Amino acid sequence: MAVTEGHGYTSRMGGALHDITVVDLAGNIATSYCAKMFADYGAQVVNVEPTEGFSTRQLAPFTAGGESAMHAYLHTNKKSVSGYSANDLQDLLDDASLILGDAQTPTFDHDAIFTRVTWYGSSGPYAHYVGSDAQCFALNAMLPNIGHVAGPPLIPTGYQAQIVAGKNAYVASLTQLLGRKLGNTTSAIDIEVSTFESMLCLTEVGVIGAYNTGLTPTRMGINRFPPTYPLGVFPCQDGWLGLTVLTPGQWHAFCDLLDMPDFKHVDLFQTAVGRLEAVDVIEPVIRERLLTRKAEALFYAGQQARIPLARVPTMAELFQVDQFQQRQAFGEARLSDGTTLAVPSVPFRLFATPPNFGGPVAALGEHTAEFVG
Amino acid sequence: MSAQALQGIRIVDLSMGWAGPLCARQMADLGADVIKVESCERFDWWRSWEATPEWIEDDGAEKSAAFNMVNRNKRAITLDLEDETGRDLLLQLVSTAHAVVENYSGGVLPKLRLTYDHLRAAQPNIILLSMPPFGSTGPWAEFRAYGSTVEQSSGLPHLNGLDADPPTMHHVAYGDPMGGLNGGAALLTALYHQTSSGEGQFVDLSQVESLFSLAAHGIMTYSATGQAPARTGNVHATSAPHGVYRCAGEEQWLLLQIFDETQWDALCSQAPVLTKFGASTDRLARRDELDAALNTWCANQDAFELMERLQGQGIPAVATHNTISLLSDRHLEYRGYWQWLDRAVVGRQPNPSTPYRFGAQPIAIQSPAPTLGQHNDEVLSDVLGLDEQAIERLRSNGIIGEKPRMPGTRPPRSASS
Repeated sequence: MAVTEGHGYTSRMGGALHDITVVDLAGNIATSYCAKMFADYGAQVVNVEPTEGFSTRQLAPFTAGGESAMHAYLHTNKKSVSGYSANDLQDLLDDASLILGDAQTPTFDHDAIFTRVTWYGSSGPYAHYVGSDAQCFALNAMLPNIGHVAGPPLIPTGYQAQIVAGKNAYVASLTQLLGRKLGNTTSAIDIEVSTFESMLCLTEVGVIGAYNTGLTPTRMGINRFPPTYPLGVFPCQDGWLGLTVLTPGQWHAFCDLLDMPDFKHVDLFQTAVGRLEAVDVIEPVIRERLLTRKAEALFYAGQQARIPLARVPTMAELFQVDQFQQRQAFGEARLSDGTTLAVPSVPFRLFATPPNFGGPVAALGEHTAEFVG
Repeated sequence: MSAQALQGIRIVDLSMGWAGPLCARQMADLGADVIKVESCERFDWWRSWEATPEWIEDDGAEKSAAFNMVNRNKRAITLDLEDETGRDLLLQLVSTAHAVVENYSGGVLPKLRLTYDHLRAAQPNIILLSMPPFGSTGPWAEFRAYGSTVEQSSGLPHLNGLDADPPTMHHVAYGDPMGGLNGGAALLTALYHQTSSGEGQFVDLSQVESLFSLAAHGIMTYSATGQAPARTGNVHATSAPHGVYRCAGEEQWLLLQIFDETQWDALCSQAPVLTKFGASTDRLARRDELDAALNTWCANQDAFELMERLQGQGIPAVATHNTISLLSDRHLEYRGYWQWLDRAVVGRQPNPSTPYRFGAQPIAIQSPAPTLGQHNDEVLSDVLGLDEQAIERLRSNGIIGEKPRMPGTRPPRSASS
């Protein structure tokens, strides 16, 4: 282990962010995820919901009782207020350390930190574009490299761009809250987070590489990404194995692992680029060898030989991986109808002030009386 | 000045590659004093996997665009941590710091006697952020991974692509930038608590678990229904048209997603050929025919002109960029997103802004990535109080330096050191 002994979690009341109050006025995926990170570490988060509820309540999939599972994931340990007057809202905003909004949230006077998450930012030619998660992959240059050579490129699924924007909203907002605590900032601050620009952190290395070389990668097929080979997800007897073999040492160990002595010292195969040139020679042998072996055994043997192999767990297998179980990588969201759902935990653990692992999910307006009237 | 919110915070950055340095870069962008520590023989591997005499002579260490991109706004020193003097100087530096960031392989810090306990002996309230691929605890704590391995291990490939294909990766070493972004969040959370209470702590980030939030739509589907979502490529269960359509020119594509009838009516007004398709149920039933009609309609049109025209009518459609065209995107240009800085050895280079801003303009980048050991004299004298002679002795003994060295070539120590 990279750490020495004696760093077990120290349980205590409250969390690292216990003195922060967050008011979410938008309730989209990005602001909900941002607020979730605050709630995970003990901040009080108040969802100010319209009478029909935040839009996240309408996201599929749904439980047998008709509740949104995505909403449950995004809203553990928060409070829900609905059916309020303008004065009630003003009181809530006056007490907030951080207010979250989106492009539709009107501008208003406040003394807090106000973070607005939009698709493209509030200025520029795309400012008023109708946005989507997939658009961020198209414009950040990732989409064209995913899919079969003949095309079309394949759209990544889910809400990935909004989640990444939510993480950035958390970083920007907490920075300013910390700046206040440090005495570096005192006045009200408006923060703008662009979802599109948030997704550029994935491709900025590629852009600057292209600027210096004049070269941009082309789509080479499913799981084939220049200049590294072998890299991808390959079938074994009992499941899928993730390969990334980069250095000569890893290649030699990989050849030993798969019993490919003839390939081990071929000059061309000593570099990832050389192996990619010879993919038609190498790949059939790799595939044949992998299909006779079990992924689980290869994974452990490969890691033992310092090759970064991976199990590629299905959604069902993910919950059974002992590494994730031991780390409480999944907590339990408790819905108001009594349903429980496994949800991903926060990916970082503060040992002295541990996070909440799951928690209750408020029904619409469940806490209205606590804050209104 | 709000961009300097973290003024007064000092971070010692022991990390290498992409994830760790990106984590520390965020702190540097926001005003923290981030001091990157390398050594002449064990420099950041994003400069290069290995040194050769020719590479050293040619200033190869300063030419890595990737290294330069994630290390801006930092100061850089070199210290040979395998040498007792170098290790002591690091601990002195830690005694002035709020936090340390590291992403060494498991076993390296114990070998150097630089575990959290050692750092805490130097600075009782220090924060140590450790960010190994699978986390610092559990049976896989010492397992190795690249950013691609992290993506494979997260289950995310089972949510993309088509059922007929293998689980499909995004790659771009997805685990690295996501690890870096979450590392910034983790560090800020611990710094907030430290500022409130005076208490430091060990912080453990799992890069693989950092991707679970991006796979949440699949994880929650399984959690709620016991079934994983079907892998249907560009086909959307309830929306049509929904896809990527080929436009004029090589590898020019239009992403188009129609989510309601208002958007559909607007699209038909731009593409009358589509009016033969009816309401949503008809379009879903005739999806292949609709896609073919759209491919024909797009085939002779410029993707970016089409994007502008369709978005002008409230239709969610965009063109695709590649890594070259992205640098001249007109929206990013208008917003001043790419900041151009002169950097030693490589000259003028583009640098991405933070995706958040505290006013109309992006947060200004103060300095390009430092060269190896660029701030040796400044940090050793101003922060650690060493005089000129002591610094020169460290240099002549090879404990510090400003050029990479081949392994095992440290000069013999002088008697006075």
